[in-house]
Amino acid sequence: MLSGVVPLSSAVEARLGELGSVELLVGIPSYNNARTIGHVVHAAAAGLAKYFPGRRAAIVNSDGGSEDETPAIVAAADLHSPGALLVSHPVAPVHKVMTPYHGMPGKGSAFRTIFAIAERLGARACAVVDADLRSITPHWFEWLLGPVLHEDFDFVSPLYLRHKYDGTITNSIVYPLTRALYGKELRQPIGGDFGFSGRLASHYLTKPVWETNVARFGVDIWMTTTAVAAGFRVCQAFLGAKIHDPKDPGADLAGMLVQVVSSVFDLMETYRDRWRVVERAEAVPLFGFPHGVGLEPVRVDVERMRGIFRQGVKDLGEVWGQALDRETLAAVTALSEREIGDFTFPDPLWVRVVYGFALAYHRRTLPTEQLLRSLVPLYLGRTASFIVQEAESGADEVEASIAALADEFLKQKGDLLQRWS
Amino acid sequence: MWRQVLDDVIRKTLQGFGERLEAFGPNLLAMAVILGLGVVAAMAVRFVVGRLLPRLGFDRLAEGAGLRLVLQKGGIEGCPSGLVAIVLAWGVLGAFVLLAIGALNLQVAMDLVSKAFAWLPQLLIALAVLTLGSMTSAFLRRSVLIAAVNAGLPSARALAGGVHTALLILFAAIALEHLGVGRQIIVASFTILFGGVTFALALAFGLAGRVPARQLLDRLLRDTGDQHDDLHHL
Repeated sequence: MLSGVVPLSSAVEARLGELGSVELLVGIPSYNNARTIGHVVHAAAAGLAKYFPGRRAAIVNSDGGSEDETPAIVAAADLHSPGALLVSHPVAPVHKVMTPYHGMPGKGSAFRTIFAIAERLGARACAVVDADLRSITPHWFEWLLGPVLHEDFDFVSPLYLRHKYDGTITNSIVYPLTRALYGKELRQPIGGDFGFSGRLASHYLTKPVWETNVARFGVDIWMTTTAVAAGFRVCQAFLGAKIHDPKDPGADLAGMLVQVVSSVFDLMETYRDRWRVVERAEAVPLFGFPHGVGLEPVRVDVERMRGIFRQGVKDLGEVWGQALDRETLAAVTALSEREIGDFTFPDPLWVRVVYGFALAYHRRTLPTEQLLRSLVPLYLGRTASFIVQEAESGADEVEASIAALADEFLKQKGDLLQRWS
Repeated sequence: MWRQVLDDVIRKTLQGFGERLEAFGPNLLAMAVILGLGVVAAMAVRFVVGRLLPRLGFDRLAEGAGLRLVLQKGGIEGCPSGLVAIVLAWGVLGAFVLLAIGALNLQVAMDLVSKAFAWLPQLLIALAVLTLGSMTSAFLRRSVLIAAVNAGLPSARALAGGVHTALLILFAAIALEHLGVGRQIIVASFTILFGGVTFALALAFGLAGRVPARQLLDRLLRDTGDQHDDLHHL
């Protein structure tokens, strides 16, 4: 048992002693989420009461030192009122544990504390959800916890209903690359809301990653990849739309891209022996009822994206030359001369670009931050091309395009393996 | 009589030369031996370093730090480890040359060696400053270039080039100042150059380019990063 090495305050230790054990645990990492955390906590309590009545459960809020009313709102949340829980029949009480986390500031450190508490309480099924969710409903917990509790799955990856243009980093890099590497069709591997078994929580605690970027920002893809690479049983759950509180304006695209892609590339180093032998990808069981609903249109500035791509071609050739072979660089350069209506970043070329950057990251041909920041114009070029191509497409056609890209990643994996040393 | 005088002069000359050769010969021989050893040592250093550094990943590291690019821009082709091997070999040879001159045991030579050795640390520090400056400026040039392109600034390359040049001048001035070469002139030139350039840019930006400056600031303040889109990239 490794939960003992995670520091907890004496008050939390005492609270865990009072609780003894639970079957279900919901973890909510938070930092300045006063506007939304009340809704998230009530949705969790309602979900536990509605879908798992009679089972002992706890909600753990692992807070990163919020300066707003977040802790007070969680403390004041009434989890025992039938009105608040949206149920009328008697239910087992849902317990609350509030704890600050220790270690490096970040979602990963918050999750580590949740894993440790899950292990200490002997939880069989756990779920973690973001504290800034506006669209969370009680049924999320049915699908995040149910497959673990009733079907013996170890990891439940979320599947959200999203606008066809949303999630472009996921759709063009993370999903197809993760699928090609590890052989599981987990459509949203960095979704952020997961279900997992107690034994997987204990497995996570054994990994020496809590002083790395995993503790700060890479925990979502790390959890997914670790579960798949270690051979745990994985599935997906359809949760409907995911709507966040408006994002921090400081979270710029380049920073996001660097964080996500560096996490994926770092995991390629960690699990290289695992992904080398994977030759095909397989679907995983899906829980829930996928459906399509109308979502409000999103505003996209394709011309600006294309402009940055063209400027990248003009100015970043010397940097891209460190990652891309001559043929790929020439093909990318040729793209910049096309008109907007004819602007297509072909799948095979995009895969060569991503694999080229993965190899450059592996070989450290440039400082990693610079290397990945230089990927931004290429990514924007690819995204602009995707938006132009799919302007008239429905959800199914877009999904088919993403599936074709994922297949291309798998097709070119042999080349990646040959060049990886 | 005439013949006797000639014999004495020649004999004394040869005798003197022989005595001087006897006295100075070992020093000369020592100098030749030291020089020979220096050549061998320099070749050995070049051979060993030239093979060891690539195996230790020095070329990859130098490439990552932008050193190779800097060398190429300076017209120096070939791998950085080869260059380091050559520089070290010349350094070793230079040290042996100084030792060889010292072996002559001449006052002038001794003074020269003492001065050279006293100046050597300054020279090495100045070289280190220049190397560090070249690497730092190349690194920052690339960072500025990438950030400017990502921000959609039209003059990204000029901005990055300006940063690169300014840093190179700064480090060169530090190195020269450390060597004590024209100290006053360098400090004064540097101050005038930087002050002048900054003032000129400020004037150009604020007066001559008032309208574009306002437009640029408006754009920078109004539109940051990906706020042009409602797109959720993750």
